[in-house]
Amino acid sequence: MDILTSFPPLKALGPEAFDKQITAYLTKLDKLPTAAFSKAKDGKSPLDVLSPSSNSIPYMYCLIEATKSLGKDKAKWDELLSKVTLFYATFDPTQVRYAGQLWCDLWKWTADCLDHLGIIDLSVLSSAILRLDPSAATFTSLHLRFVRLCLGNNTPSQALPILDRDIYAFPHANAKNVLAELPSEELGLSNAYINEKSGLSEKLRPDLIMEYYLLGAQVYIGTRALSRARLFLELVILHPAQNHATSALQVEAFQKWLLIGLLTDGKPFPYPRTMDQSTIKALRSMSKAYEALTESFERRDSAKFYAEMDAGQQIWAENGNYRLVAEAGQTLMQYRVSDLQKTYAALPVSRVAYHLGLASEDTLSTLDNMIRTSSLDATLTPGATAAEAVLRFNMKSSGRTQNNVDVETQTKRIEELIAAVRDADKRLELTKEHIDITKRNKRTGTDAELADQMDLSWDTPSAPAGVMVISEDEAEEDIMA
Amino acid sequence: MASPLPSVGTPTFDLESHTSNYTPPLLPLRLLHIAAHCPPLSHQALTLALEVIKLGKDVSLYHRATDLASLLGHADLAVKDTDWLARREDANRRELTRLEGELKGYKNNLIRESIRMGQEDLGLHLSATGGQAAAVTKEDELEATATPSMQGLVVAYTTMSRVRDYCSTPSHIAGLTLRLQQIALQQAVTAQQTGLSASPHWQNVLATSNRLKSVGVKEEEQVLLTPLAAAGAGLAHLCTSDYISAAKSFLSVPFSLATQPAVQGVNFIASTASANDIAIYGALTSLATLSREELQTKVLDSPFRAFLELEPHVRKAISLYLNAKYSACMALLSRYYADWSLDLYLGAGLSQGHSHVDRLFARIREKSITAYFSSFSSVSLSSLASTFPPTGLAPSTSREGVEKVMETEILSLISSGALNARLDAVNGTVVAPSKDARVEAHAEAGKLAEEVERGLRLRLHRVNCLISNLEIVGAGAPGGKGGKEAWGLGY
Repeated sequence: MDILTSFPPLKALGPEAFDKQITAYLTKLDKLPTAAFSKAKDGKSPLDVLSPSSNSIPYMYCLIEATKSLGKDKAKWDELLSKVTLFYATFDPTQVRYAGQLWCDLWKWTADCLDHLGIIDLSVLSSAILRLDPSAATFTSLHLRFVRLCLGNNTPSQALPILDRDIYAFPHANAKNVLAELPSEELGLSNAYINEKSGLSEKLRPDLIMEYYLLGAQVYIGTRALSRARLFLELVILHPAQNHATSALQVEAFQKWLLIGLLTDGKPFPYPRTMDQSTIKALRSMSKAYEALTESFERRDSAKFYAEMDAGQQIWAENGNYRLVAEAGQTLMQYRVSDLQKTYAALPVSRVAYHLGLASEDTLSTLDNMIRTSSLDATLTPGATAAEAVLRFNMKSSGRTQNNVDVETQTKRIEELIAAVRDADKRLELTKEHIDITKRNKRTGTDAELADQMDLSWDTPSAPAGVMVISEDEAEEDIMA
Repeated sequence: MASPLPSVGTPTFDLESHTSNYTPPLLPLRLLHIAAHCPPLSHQALTLALEVIKLGKDVSLYHRATDLASLLGHADLAVKDTDWLARREDANRRELTRLEGELKGYKNNLIRESIRMGQEDLGLHLSATGGQAAAVTKEDELEATATPSMQGLVVAYTTMSRVRDYCSTPSHIAGLTLRLQQIALQQAVTAQQTGLSASPHWQNVLATSNRLKSVGVKEEEQVLLTPLAAAGAGLAHLCTSDYISAAKSFLSVPFSLATQPAVQGVNFIASTASANDIAIYGALTSLATLSREELQTKVLDSPFRAFLELEPHVRKAISLYLNAKYSACMALLSRYYADWSLDLYLGAGLSQGHSHVDRLFARIREKSITAYFSSFSSVSLSSLASTFPPTGLAPSTSREGVEKVMETEILSLISSGALNARLDAVNGTVVAPSKDARVEAHAEAGKLAEEVERGLRLRLHRVNCLISNLEIVGAGAPGGKGGKEAWGLGY
């Protein structure tokens, strides 16, 4: 027990001393028999003695140990869960960075436990992730697991606290010649301590990342945050690939992306400029049915659109896009009405009905509905009959954009943007070094990195001598090859 | 009697004096165009045409003229002069044999200059006879897809092209190019009149005209060629409906064209287009395509004004347009509608329903409406209809009917994007969309910011993936797990 409480010392430590001490402490802990974590002393459980906030690591050991001896007694589960919850609310994130594997195990147990107890409130899990890494900006396997859980529980909105945090980095193997920062230091970006060695995340694979974004996009589609969904889908579609390989997940994302374009813009989004041409080709050839759908949508050809919608029912259902397609069908009507405001300022409902190919009464109720749901910015003046009612578009705003562009959100968005730019810069710097090393370690001369390679060669003159030698070696290798 | 072909009203010009400005080979074609589309003048025009044709050598053209006469019901002119036909055909054939024989002789003697001249004579003969006789005798007879006359002209063109091999001075090249331009024009106009595709021939006209700009002749000779080059290119652009380029070409024609003598035996202003014609073509295409400012600087205050002085009424039309008197401008132009429709080039396509005059007028009208509307925030349809009376309506049409037509026109203008306005179908007014620049700028900036942000995030993602070696690897490659098989694999 003394060993357990021997850390942290009373007086505050500098980052380096902290690092040294905690590493020594961890070796000591590892040597302890497992019984040390479960044995009660003076009639008290170690969990009662230790403080979750200052003795986070031993507390975690004890919790893990406790999970192993749980019987079928539901009360025991509940009790332990409440302790875990308390731990998650108070633990010291800096200490936990040193015990990543343990943390991961505990988190997974908690997830299983919640499932076992049938609790659908998963906020414990998300707040745990956020306490360890308040920005949640480094992607970990827990992110994906959490989103899967939320969707499995049919409570997708619970995933939002995590999904709303943008991913700024992936855990990576610390470069050898880059001086590793100590996990104990105050760090700007969480991927400094969440890396492949820390155990805070399991090994990642590209498909897992794509799955995360695809699931996230589904959540956003469900919550109507379509522009965010678009971003997520584009992240999947634009996932870098070697030799133009295309993933089935990308196909799925592409199909959804096409449909989302119809919902938000009334036409498919333009292809991102950086998109690989052969990937586009591959994706398009896999999504013929969707392409046909978007084409008739773009031409506002409702007859053809609805016919295609019916004909492809099985396809939509198989791909899980049935509801999106149906919604696009409803939106088509809206776009046909709002297309009218490009030409008309006001017109009788009979004429709208003529354009839509509907009866006047149906048109009136459709318009009424659209105005009510504020998908159409217009006013209806009732007439003697449905046909004589007048639809007057609001000329002040063009299209479907809101009247008042909120200056405040605007500013916020721009600030976010600046942060993103800064971050990108930072990452790019890392890239150069990293590519330098990957190039030396394994020669994967992909064209994707060409731009960066060029940057490198420009940097060479000012680089230290060691780097010079490397690039010369490479030049020779190039000639040999 | 009713004409079986689309017709226009009586023109303001006198046929005799109008046609006296022109010479063959296009003169009979001009007369045939007038005959076909202007019933009051058709008899006179056909009579003149037959006279001219009989002076020439083109047998197939004679057949075409008499056929047109019987189609239009002029029985007296439809009778074929078989005597003349037989004599002409015989003479043509003999002439051709003679020329071919001579050319053979020259070729045996290997005298380059003689071969060139022999070849050129043969080409000229073929183009003058419509090449019918040649079509039978020539070995390299082309596929019989075109009418005999057309086919003959193609042979004439290729024969003439062969002259190039024997040219020794830039001056020869210039003469050859000029003749090729003329034959191509003849081909193009014939194709237009017989309802064939004329655009490849117009491309030839354009190509030869452009070549004329730089054949490498001496400065003083080039000065004579440049106007022909510009005018030829303008005609080619006009007839292929590229009005913007046409305007540009016509406006660059130097006024020396009006006074210069025939070049290398080709009198352009008599054979192809007179200075008055150039004035009209230039003015109409400019009115239809140029902005108000450009009209002032590039047309009225430019050397082109000299052309306009020849046709004061089109100059007046341009000034009226510039002074925003659109209805007066349109009225003035429409007074000359018949004249211009009977023009060989402007009236082309009349048989198909829309001549270039119609299209140019429609454009000018469209531009006028847009310009007129730009100074108002709201205009009623009835006032629009009185300023711009819809064309092609019976005068007895009711006010509602006129407004209805006007409304359709405005709608098509709005949906084509030419007019930035909205129609208030209830009050019968056209309303300018009120724009809040501030809100718009905000929305624009917001959108842009979002775009940039998304772009950055995508890039960041890419860089991150590359850093961590998280690229998708194709199946087959080691560690290839991208794709469906990864689904549902837990940790």
